[in-house]
Amino acid sequence: MTLKECYAALEGDYDSVIGRLRTERMVQKFVLKFLNDKSFDLLVTSLDEKNYEEAFRAAHTIKGVCQNLSFTKLYESSNNLTEVLRSDYSPEVEGLFEQVKADYQQTVDAIQVLQATS
Amino acid sequence: MKQKILIADDSEMNRSILADMLGDEYEILEAEDGVEAVGILQKYETSISLLLLDIVMPNMDGFEVLIMMNKHKWIDEIPVIMISSESAPAHVERAYGLGIADFISRPFDALIVHRRVVNTILLYAKQKKLVGLVADQMYQKERQASMMVDILGHIVEFRNGESGRHVFHIRKLTELLLEYMIHHNIRPDLADLDVSLICTASALHDIGKIVIPDEVLNKPGRLTDEEFTIMKNHTLVGAKMLNELPFYQDEPLIRAAYEICRWHHERYDGRGYPDGLKGDEIPISAQIVALADVYDALTSERVYKKAYSHEKSIQMIVNGECGQFNPVLLDCLVDIADTLEKEMHDNDENTEPHINKDEMRNVAEEMFNREELTASERTLQLLELERMKYSFFADMSEEVQFEYTVSPPMVMLFALGAKKLGLNEIILDPLKDETVLAMSGPEGYKALSDALRSTTPEQPIVKHDQEIWIDGEKRWMRIIARAMWSQEEPPRYTGTIGKVIDIHDDRVKLDTLRQMASHDALTGLFNRRYAESRIKERMEARPDGRFALVIFDLDHFKDANDNYGHIFGDQVLSFMAEKLRLCIRGGDIAARVGGDEFLIFLEYKLDVETVIQRIFDSLIGQYEDFRISVSMGIAKTQEIGTEYEELFHAADQALYTVKRSGRGRYCFYDESMRDMLSVISSIDNDDDEETDSDKETDNNGKAAEDEADKEGEQ
Repeated sequence: MTLKECYAALEGDYDSVIGRLRTERMVQKFVLKFLNDKSFDLLVTSLDEKNYEEAFRAAHTIKGVCQNLSFTKLYESSNNLTEVLRSDYSPEVEGLFEQVKADYQQTVDAIQVLQATS
Repeated sequence: MKQKILIADDSEMNRSILADMLGDEYEILEAEDGVEAVGILQKYETSISLLLLDIVMPNMDGFEVLIMMNKHKWIDEIPVIMISSESAPAHVERAYGLGIADFISRPFDALIVHRRVVNTILLYAKQKKLVGLVADQMYQKERQASMMVDILGHIVEFRNGESGRHVFHIRKLTELLLEYMIHHNIRPDLADLDVSLICTASALHDIGKIVIPDEVLNKPGRLTDEEFTIMKNHTLVGAKMLNELPFYQDEPLIRAAYEICRWHHERYDGRGYPDGLKGDEIPISAQIVALADVYDALTSERVYKKAYSHEKSIQMIVNGECGQFNPVLLDCLVDIADTLEKEMHDNDENTEPHINKDEMRNVAEEMFNREELTASERTLQLLELERMKYSFFADMSEEVQFEYTVSPPMVMLFALGAKKLGLNEIILDPLKDETVLAMSGPEGYKALSDALRSTTPEQPIVKHDQEIWIDGEKRWMRIIARAMWSQEEPPRYTGTIGKVIDIHDDRVKLDTLRQMASHDALTGLFNRRYAESRIKERMEARPDGRFALVIFDLDHFKDANDNYGHIFGDQVLSFMAEKLRLCIRGGDIAARVGGDEFLIFLEYKLDVETVIQRIFDSLIGQYEDFRISVSMGIAKTQEIGTEYEELFHAADQALYTVKRSGRGRYCFYDESMRDMLSVISSIDNDDDEETDSDKETDNNGKAAEDEADKEGEQ
């Protein structure tokens, strides 16, 4: 799988990220690094513990990373969650989190394939 | 060496993307939250060339970091580029208000970030260089200008054969007088005068002398009337020269010089020249230069005279021997006389007019910073002012003052206090800081923290005494602190402000006093009153405990006193006290109740009799020729209850019973003794014995015993 195909699989914007970070080598390095990022785990635990301040920061971090890497789909869902969490808890959080979870899985799956085949 | 860039962002990913882009050219330091960032800033200060700062971070966010940077003035030296996806205008505006150099929104372009970082670092370096450059140039310009004027003035003096110091002396004197008058608001109308302008102009007061022929100007003897007329002309000539300058006509410097040249020989009484102006018709600048001229002439040597002393010169001027001056000016001259003498002398070594290079730099920096202040900057300035006041008072007060915030966990000390305690001024996470922990164990801090957290916003003040290690010595310190509660409902504990006072010496003194108040001076045992309070405490603490109160006295102690004297009697008592101390157990209480009566209070489990028997046996013995035996009464809480007075009374009655039945043994209280008299005449009031003073012996409290002895013998 090529990096470009990986971006297609996780519904990101390949052209944009290459435009900003310049080289495929650099983008690939950070895309693979995404697998080690603990922000999603932090999001899950802090939501479990109903620590919404921490959850906000975790969602915010995911959003920021996705923005940098042009993971458009995960960016959008994590952005939505961030904005809701900004003012503490609201019932929407559950649904938005499910979306983030699904998109995160999709992203991670795609990257794992990339890792395995490149 | 590479320049350092600090990246503060809670996401490792984000940090490493940035580090990757910049790592080739710069040394990268990383902080994963604001607290860490401030810690690194504190450590490296201005050796950090740039800070890349995220907004949303745990513990301390980017804005709080900026506020700290403002507080410590790091923001003036270290440029900050904020990188955030929080691109709402309010955020961006606030960030700029707090002094950031640039704001980059996510997602960022690697090339742009790189370019902006490089540009910002260059810009700051350039600006610093420019400030220095401008300051240097201004300094040079100012110096050259005043040099030119002085050279001009000096040419005249040179022809005159006067010392080159004259121009400088006039300038200095003029400056001193003017500044004194303005500073003391002696002539409110002078407030707007440009002092430095008049001082510079004063150097030109005698330029008209350039046309006076040598033989008149330098004539050693008295001038003839004709010569004097020529001489007087120098005022008008000087004024004319200035007036006919082809350029600079309207310059304030030239106008001031004109007034001074023309009128520095006028007299306050109107008898001067060239125009015979009177009083304040003479411009104040000319009046002052005239006075300065006379003073300098008197104190300097001239072809026709020797130099007068400073004191003599002042006296001559004030007495009107050398012209008539404005009385206000004369008063000022007298007032500054001491300063004047010193300044004139000191500055003879260094005649260059005083231009402060630092001042120039400030002016230059001011020019760079002269922008309209935004509201938040103004607030910060006000804060800074408050901080300055606060820090001033803190430093004046010799006390250690501190500020603690819960989030981020951080203690701030004022310089003097920090030095006193040997700590840093800012301590992050103080409870994990080795220097802090070395001063007292964590329990001490926990006790203080608990006390503060249990205050309320209405009563937030806590007084806490604690021993602290300072310079290898353990000292008692009193911490007076105020818990800070937030405004919200319910209020949140946000931190503490407080001070630490050294109370060690007072505390030691107090302990000595307390020892003296609670102990019997002769035997060192507790006294009755103190024993009573300790016993009550003990019974209150353990209401179900089994306790016994024992009172005993020495049999025939009166004989010891009578036969061997009171000093011997006292020795016997000390000896007894020592024996008593040795035979009781650690938790027992022993006291001297008065005279030769002693008290023991003890706790037992099952069998009290064995304990009593052991104590009783070990008290019996011999002191020199005096045989010691004791009579002892015991009362148990099991029977009497835990009311101290009743317990004491019962033991006392048991003792009385023993005394009646021949002494030398012990006895437990029982119901049959209910109506007995007591040995110690009153249960709890020593003072009652005063009324029986005729019966009292020196070992106080003996009277009742004697009664008992008598009865016992019957």
